[in-house]
Amino acid sequence: MAWDSAAIADAVREGDDREAVSLVKSAIEEGVPPIEILETGLVPGIQQLGELFKDGEVFLPEVLIACRAMDRGVDELKPFLESSEMHKKGKVIIGTVEGDLHDIGKNIVRLMLECAGFDVVDLGVDVSPGKFVEAVKEHSPAIVAMSALLTITMTNMPEVLEALEKAGLRSQVRVMIGGAPITREYADQIGAEGFAEDCASAVGEAERLVKG
Amino acid sequence: MSISERQRFLDICHFKRTGDMCLLAPWLNDFWVEVPEVWMKAGAPAEFADSRKMREYFGFDHIRLMREIQTGLYMDARMDVLGMEYVYAIPPILPLYEPKILEQDEHTVTVFNAGGQTARVYKNDPQKMPMYLDQPVKDWATWKEYKKRLDPDTPERFPADWAGYAARMNAKDEPLLLNVGSFFGFLREWMGLEPLLYAFHDDPALIDDMMETLCHLELVCIDKAMDKVRVDGATFWEDMAFKTGPLISPKMFRRFMMPHYKKITELLRSRGVDVIFVDSDGNLNHLIPLWLESGVNFFWPLEVAAGNDAVHYRKTYGKDAILGGNIDKRVLMKSKELIREEVMSKVPFLLEQGGYFPSVDHFVPPDAPFENYLYLINTLREVGGLPPLQH
Repeated sequence: MAWDSAAIADAVREGDDREAVSLVKSAIEEGVPPIEILETGLVPGIQQLGELFKDGEVFLPEVLIACRAMDRGVDELKPFLESSEMHKKGKVIIGTVEGDLHDIGKNIVRLMLECAGFDVVDLGVDVSPGKFVEAVKEHSPAIVAMSALLTITMTNMPEVLEALEKAGLRSQVRVMIGGAPITREYADQIGAEGFAEDCASAVGEAERLVKG
Repeated sequence: MSISERQRFLDICHFKRTGDMCLLAPWLNDFWVEVPEVWMKAGAPAEFADSRKMREYFGFDHIRLMREIQTGLYMDARMDVLGMEYVYAIPPILPLYEPKILEQDEHTVTVFNAGGQTARVYKNDPQKMPMYLDQPVKDWATWKEYKKRLDPDTPERFPADWAGYAARMNAKDEPLLLNVGSFFGFLREWMGLEPLLYAFHDDPALIDDMMETLCHLELVCIDKAMDKVRVDGATFWEDMAFKTGPLISPKMFRRFMMPHYKKITELLRSRGVDVIFVDSDGNLNHLIPLWLESGVNFFWPLEVAAGNDAVHYRKTYGKDAILGGNIDKRVLMKSKELIREEVMSKVPFLLEQGGYFPSVDHFVPPDAPFENYLYLINTLREVGGLPPLQH
């Protein structure tokens, strides 16, 4: 069967992980360069899905199964790809801020960012400003992404920005925030460069930040 | 001529009584568990330690959710966590699991709760929403074990003195609500969100079986309850939306949930109950038409931060939808000017249209100053033509 990048994209978009894996394996056997399989098959599939999600045409279950299909397709490619080829878009440190144990939204954003080609370091939940600072020192990310579910914990976001400033790291990273109570106005107010309304728009926002 | 509180509630729901400022509590006008303590420390009356007295202080109108009938979200499960009280909500399983503490670190305690979930809570504030680490249902095998706890005929599902309880309820001059369960919400409690969302795709038969089990439980219990108790309204709990939309697609809602909703709402209507409430956080734009089609017609809390606009919903759905909430809780943390602006931007219109029960858009959080909340209530009273609270 001839290599068909659109078929791989379709399989990812439809969340058909078996089909995605099968098509990726066939393409490898046919000698298609792995990076081409990634960039013209798997990635467009997840991008199309992201657009459909933004437009309200698909919902979270479809996003999850598409990410799973993407992930399993990427697993087939991993032996043939350099890490830098898989994570070309840059590194993101992500965490739920101190005092907040919620991780569902943050996890889905992490998944979407990974699918879109970011290298994501997940610090988990209840992450103190100090832990964000240490992680920035250790990983030198392009972006620090923070999540909060509660009005009483979103106020810990500016403390992270302040800690980055004090550590002399603020100019090295772009900061994006999201979560149920978070608005663009709040992001502007605390000086975060990025804001994501939901998990799908987080990818576009991260791409904008790394380009900017 | 004065009317009973029950009739007043129904008349508002049926759009027969407009302009009436009815601040229902508990539940619609309610508070996070930490609020009384925080407010008392800030100078609020000591009587706030008693939630009933706190409601009286604010002049709320009573509504009674018959929690003693174990058919819906059981909201008062309690556990001692190293001397602090952890209050949580669980589905109506019987018997409950034996709660225990599993481990602890510097800041948190990991507990196994009465709902069969493993959760991590803060030592200094167990009430802050926990992180769930493990859920009781993972597959068919665990589900088959768990569903044994959902037998509608378990005697403890109804109060021991059922006839006496029913007589006491029937004698009350307050609207009575019957819990009629949940489909998405309970399944999420049992499986966790991500495994549940995968299961909708990977194992639809499992989802069907869980929902059918719930539907059967509710139908049997509704019949039994309504044989003895006069019921004014029924309540579902779902919490099935996030900031920009539902957690599952409308197609999945129709496929998995709607048939069960219809069985329940048709039974309720056949027995004279046409006020059917659903509590769901998040953006309800896609969900309201689906619920209306399913026979559910009362929506709360309509969170503003999630893009809900009660004025828009009223204009769109007219008298098909009863609305509650939609006063942005975030203004409580800002200023009295913004509180007034928020109230005046919607409450007079909604009250005049009818079928609206004002409240902030979910429980009042502990960072809302007492003084601002009091100002909100007095502003609402002013809109309703009531005198300010005399405190």
